[in-house]
Amino acid sequence: MPNRDKARAKADVLQGTLDLMVLQTLAALGSQHGYAIAARLEQVSSGALRLNMGTLYPALMRLEQRGLIRGDWGVTDTSRKARFYAITAAGRRELRSEKAEWQRMTAIMQALLQDEA
Amino acid sequence: MIARLIAALREWTGRAAATAGRRRDDADLERELRAHLELAAEEAERRGQPPARALRTAALDAGGVAQAMEALRDQRGLPWVDDLARDLRYGCRMLARSPGFTAISVISLAIGIGANCAAFSFADTLLLRPLPVPRPSELLVAGQVNPFEDSLESSYRDFLDIRDRSRSFEALAAYTKSTAGFAASVDAPAKLTIGLLVTGNFFHAVGVQPQLGRDFRPDEDHVPGRDAVVILGHEFWTQQLGADPAILGRAIRLNGAAFTVVGVAPAGFTGVDQFTRFQFYAPLMMWPRFAPDAGTRLFEARDDRRLTITGRLAAAVTMAQAQSELTTIGADLERAHPETNRNGRLLVRTELQNRIAQAPPVATLVAMLAALALGVLFVACANVAGLIASRAPMRAREMAMRLAIGAGRGRLVRQLVTESLLVAMAGCALGLAVGAAAIALFSQIQIPVDLPITTVFALDRRALVFSIVVAIASAVLVGLAPAVRAARTDLTAAMKATDAAGHGGRRQWGRRVLVGGQVAVAVVLLVMATFVYRGFARELRSGPGFATDHLLMLSVAPKQLRYSEAQTQQFFERLAVSARQTPGIVSAALTRYMPMDGVPPSTAIVPEGFEFPPGQDSALHASSIVDEDYFATLGVPILQGRAFRAADAAAAPPVAIVNEALANRYWSGRTAVGQRFRIDGPRGPWVEIVGVARTTKYTFALENPKPFVYFPFRQRPADSMFLLARTSGDPASLAATCRELVRALDVNLPIANVRTMDELYRMRSVVVLDVITATIGSMGVMGLTLAIVGLYGLVAYAVSRRTKEIGIRIAIGAGRWRVLRMVLGQGLLMVAAGLAAGLLASLGVGPLLSSIFSSRMKGDARADASAFALVAAAVLAAAAIAAYIPARRAARVNPTEALRAE
Repeated sequence: MPNRDKARAKADVLQGTLDLMVLQTLAALGSQHGYAIAARLEQVSSGALRLNMGTLYPALMRLEQRGLIRGDWGVTDTSRKARFYAITAAGRRELRSEKAEWQRMTAIMQALLQDEA
Repeated sequence: MIARLIAALREWTGRAAATAGRRRDDADLERELRAHLELAAEEAERRGQPPARALRTAALDAGGVAQAMEALRDQRGLPWVDDLARDLRYGCRMLARSPGFTAISVISLAIGIGANCAAFSFADTLLLRPLPVPRPSELLVAGQVNPFEDSLESSYRDFLDIRDRSRSFEALAAYTKSTAGFAASVDAPAKLTIGLLVTGNFFHAVGVQPQLGRDFRPDEDHVPGRDAVVILGHEFWTQQLGADPAILGRAIRLNGAAFTVVGVAPAGFTGVDQFTRFQFYAPLMMWPRFAPDAGTRLFEARDDRRLTITGRLAAAVTMAQAQSELTTIGADLERAHPETNRNGRLLVRTELQNRIAQAPPVATLVAMLAALALGVLFVACANVAGLIASRAPMRAREMAMRLAIGAGRGRLVRQLVTESLLVAMAGCALGLAVGAAAIALFSQIQIPVDLPITTVFALDRRALVFSIVVAIASAVLVGLAPAVRAARTDLTAAMKATDAAGHGGRRQWGRRVLVGGQVAVAVVLLVMATFVYRGFARELRSGPGFATDHLLMLSVAPKQLRYSEAQTQQFFERLAVSARQTPGIVSAALTRYMPMDGVPPSTAIVPEGFEFPPGQDSALHASSIVDEDYFATLGVPILQGRAFRAADAAAAPPVAIVNEALANRYWSGRTAVGQRFRIDGPRGPWVEIVGVARTTKYTFALENPKPFVYFPFRQRPADSMFLLARTSGDPASLAATCRELVRALDVNLPIANVRTMDELYRMRSVVVLDVITATIGSMGVMGLTLAIVGLYGLVAYAVSRRTKEIGIRIAIGAGRWRVLRMVLGQGLLMVAAGLAAGLLASLGVGPLLSSIFSSRMKGDARADASAFALVAAAVLAAAAIAAYIPARRAARVNPTEALRAE
């Protein structure tokens, strides 16, 4: 089943970066529900990153299980019930170190790719 | 790094907690997903989409709720555990839906596993259990072969030569068993104990360190009778001395002499014997204290072979090298000491080989049982395999269906394995119960002695693990077959295919042979059980040849208190006299050997004028030393001549009484009375036969007639004697009185073996025979059950595959009776073939049984034929029922339904 395998591979690549994106979004914008996070990522990427619920929500659950974010039911501006996620102290620490790691990594990649060119 | 580790840990504890129950439930997760879609739709509406389309667009963008839920469920708990729980539930439901299949599979496996547990536990107890020493398989036994017991033994002088000259061994130690009267202090009454007298390096050689105190010192093994030190057995120390560590350095009394306790053996070390749990270890040099009359002869005479030599091979030496070195040493000893070491070939064996060599009937029995049990397990597994295979086509369609609706192949395989495991595990659990029941049965066999000699039957762990692994492996392998088939086949074809698809013809053939073979084996087992039962019942009915009722016995060995020979003799006489004067005792007698109580002592005799084969100058025969009242008290008739008289005393001419078997062996057709033989070898004194006694059973109810010779107590002193009393009332009620008789003569003398003859005979013969009969009988029933189950499975399978064909036959006019006959006939053909093969093989059962038990096990031809007929009828009846059930189903096939079904 090639489709399935491809989907899984994509999800695996995404997993590390997706965690970072979600943490960064929550740190920047404060408490958000799942749709708002997805919409924000879509907006920032100019529509390139359209998250499936089957990718986004397991990621949120994983972060919650790790104690990096905390989710609670709340009400949106339009009076709809939704589950809002907030970053925890542990989440901020994780974000800091992951961010540094990411920047170090991109710097290396940058240097390497430029060199190549 | 650590932070990430902690995070991962938290994730997994969170998942575990969710699995265990604390979780967001599905409804909550779904609510969140729906909220997401609604928010997305709201957004789309805001951008100007019509509300009806907005929600659909949102759903298309964000993916389906169902898939997201599946991903969330996977993330939420431990997917493996969740799946397992689901598989288990589903598996249980599947198994419950076909209770017949489940029950038959479980029972088959239970029988297979139970039989193996029982057989190997039996083997373990009687033969195979390793000694409680480090690396027990490396322990060796060396010495000269005793042709009568096939044991390896050595004299002390030979041991010293072997020890000093051999280079093949790490260390060689020697030991001998001895009983002793033990008393904690001078004034305490003595109790009978058994211990090992060992050379100083014994503990070093077997590889055991005393748990408390110290090992023997080398100098404690040099001077006969000087170093009265003792190392206590752990069990003895705990039970008799309250596990008091302060006992070190204090003295206990053995045979009336003080021995200083220097150590305590580690817990679990019970000595170097399979059954005896030794209570103390003393230096071999203390032998004179344990055999006062023998003095120091043990240390000087090369023909006093009562030692066992044990040790381990030195590094890089093979058994063959050790054996060739011993052969050389043996030949040298033979040249140097021709008078004592003639034919003295030296052998080395592993300790296990030695055990097997010493008990060939046990080894045969154990091998037979083990082979049977393995066969039973094989048949059980084959049965289950057959049953599962017969369901495979049906399952294959189910699997194809599930694959088609999107199940992963891995999940299907897991599902099937789970089902097989369920069957295997239920079988194992029930099998354990069967094994435990068998062990409870075996445990009825106990050797009736006062000494700590035990046969502990316990579930053998290795056998258990082996059986469970075989059962699970076979169930899983066979269970996988439908999954593999499903994974291979093209879905549409599999779903369309009818069961009648032609594959598997060869397997069918194999299964037929298997069922036939099972029937044959069951027949042999049942014939055997019938023979055994009949033979045993006949032997038990005919009795042991002596009276067993109204008899009470006890044994004493005054030498344990260092009585001299004359004092011992006097003690026995006074004991017999006082017993005869006791009210309630009709008559009393003395005997060295009590029938049914272990192995009788043997005496070498040389009948006058008898030509022995070359190389042999005498014959060893079982013997006893009895007084003048023995034959009358035990109820053994004197057939010719006379019984002993008080006048057959030391000064009178030496006389003996032989049994009929011995008389027939040497003086067949002549009167034995008046004949003479020499005792104790070709230069020994002449003894005249004054009577011939009836041959009785001596050691076991099934033994062949055994030549036996009796000597008068007044002419041949003995160290230990039984007092045998015939009572007017219940013999057990006089036990205390008889103990008092001994105490009145010497309060310190240990009394042993206080029991009635009824009890001894029951324990030594009746119980053993009952257990053997029950074992073989239940194996026969198990074998038959398995064969019938196999037959049923096969016929049912054939019917289920031929439903359509049968439907057609009925539709075109075949009568139901005819269909019934066709199916039954095919089933019974296999049974008939198996039955014939089994009956043919059963012709060998009679000779086999007589070789194992006794020549008298053979029945006459007419009785054999009736046993054969009985078994054949039983097997046929059972088989007919097993085949009839599916055959009736076939006959009831409704042609219209059968044709429409596929």
